[in-house]
Amino acid sequence: MDLRIAQHPILDFGEPTAIRFNFDGRELVGREGDSIAAALHANGVMVLAHSSELDRPRGFYCAIGNCSSCMMEVDGVPNVKTCVTLLKEGMRVRSQLRGRGAL
Amino acid sequence: MISCDVLVIGAGPAGLCAAISAAEAGASVVILERSFRPGGQLVKQTHMFFGSERQYASVRGIDIPEKLLSQLESFGSKVKLLCSCTVCGIYEDGVVTALLNGTEYLKLKPRATVVATGAAERALAFSGCDLPGIYGAGAVQTLMNVHGVRPGRRVVMVGAGNIGLIVSYQLLQAGVEVACVLDAAPRIGGYLVHAAKLRRMGVPILTSHSVTRAFGHESLEAVEVAELDAKFAPIAGTERRIDCDVCCISVGLTPLTELLSMAGAALRYIPRLGGFVAKRDERYETTVKSVFTAGDASCIEEASAAMVEGRLAGLFAAETAGFCHENYSELKADCENQLALLRGGDTGKHIVAGLQDLAKED
Repeated sequence: MDLRIAQHPILDFGEPTAIRFNFDGRELVGREGDSIAAALHANGVMVLAHSSELDRPRGFYCAIGNCSSCMMEVDGVPNVKTCVTLLKEGMRVRSQLRGRGAL
Repeated sequence: MISCDVLVIGAGPAGLCAAISAAEAGASVVILERSFRPGGQLVKQTHMFFGSERQYASVRGIDIPEKLLSQLESFGSKVKLLCSCTVCGIYEDGVVTALLNGTEYLKLKPRATVVATGAAERALAFSGCDLPGIYGAGAVQTLMNVHGVRPGRRVVMVGAGNIGLIVSYQLLQAGVEVACVLDAAPRIGGYLVHAAKLRRMGVPILTSHSVTRAFGHESLEAVEVAELDAKFAPIAGTERRIDCDVCCISVGLTPLTELLSMAGAALRYIPRLGGFVAKRDERYETTVKSVFTAGDASCIEEASAAMVEGRLAGLFAAETAGFCHENYSELKADCENQLALLRGGDTGKHIVAGLQDLAKED
């Protein structure tokens, strides 16, 4: 399912530059201006991490950098709030390591 | 150590307006914003504003940040805006620390600080409520209207307040099916003009209903909804399953007061204002000297009111920093008049009552 909005009665998203990035070893394409979480969602990736205690799947919730549900490892740095972090060319994004990643 | 006259935390409608009036008064201003773009929640509000022309009525929210930012640009280097900058602490000596781009640690020493951190969407507790696919309604609005990404195929909206109703309509505009809108209350909380638009599009609005369970393995596949009795308890036998891959939660907002709390500001629980808020005097100063607060961080309201509160907070913070605006009295009276008009209607009554509760309680 393509989740990008092709036509909208009010908004014109134009044709933003494609941004290539890597997610858990997969080469994906986002758009310039995307947050990391939005680019992943557009690619059908809803599960961003798993919880540390019960191993429950985690997605984003607030999209304003507040709830910490979207934290992932980005370019080797853990606990990055992907909903308020701008996607950049060549970024390496990984699912947070089930709470056992190095802090 | 970065010195400035006025520090504004948060570049949403309140923060940007606070910066404008502080800069107009002659103060040097630094604005810190944790997201990578300024504008706060205006950036996703595709609907036209109500109110008067003074608060950009008939302008879409998405077009307002640009207007505010261009006003700030006219002050040149007197105003600095740093995005991707998360404030970490406000200390007893007035020093504020922040992390820029996740790597650079900043220390600031402002003469006055305006905390305009806004609010966060509340969550709702039910079985499975943490599954991916269950999102804040505002978060879905950001995903659609800022990033041009649909949240999924079929949505159940929980909450028929203004945000729930507006986002449901915007989901339809983005080509997403809205299965139904639920509200635990026996009547629709938002403006009927928004509810009517949804009903015309054939979306059922079920009052006295809520979500009771979520189903799915790695992400949402369906929710169970039930009718509620007068005490908001689910009525046995009314449960039914609705297939959906997204469930939006729109059950209100909570002011973001962590930094104020850390600074030592006295907080009071005022349900009408959205929860814990800082006590503040008529100049929006908290119980911590030279720390001010405005906008949703101090009272959950609409962006139009947040902008006017921000204008006032900037005026007061600049005054504390030693910069009295040349039109101080006129501007103050004008803003207070605008707030009175915005809070004059039926929906503004609870805000006025909440502010009165805050003022008297101790």
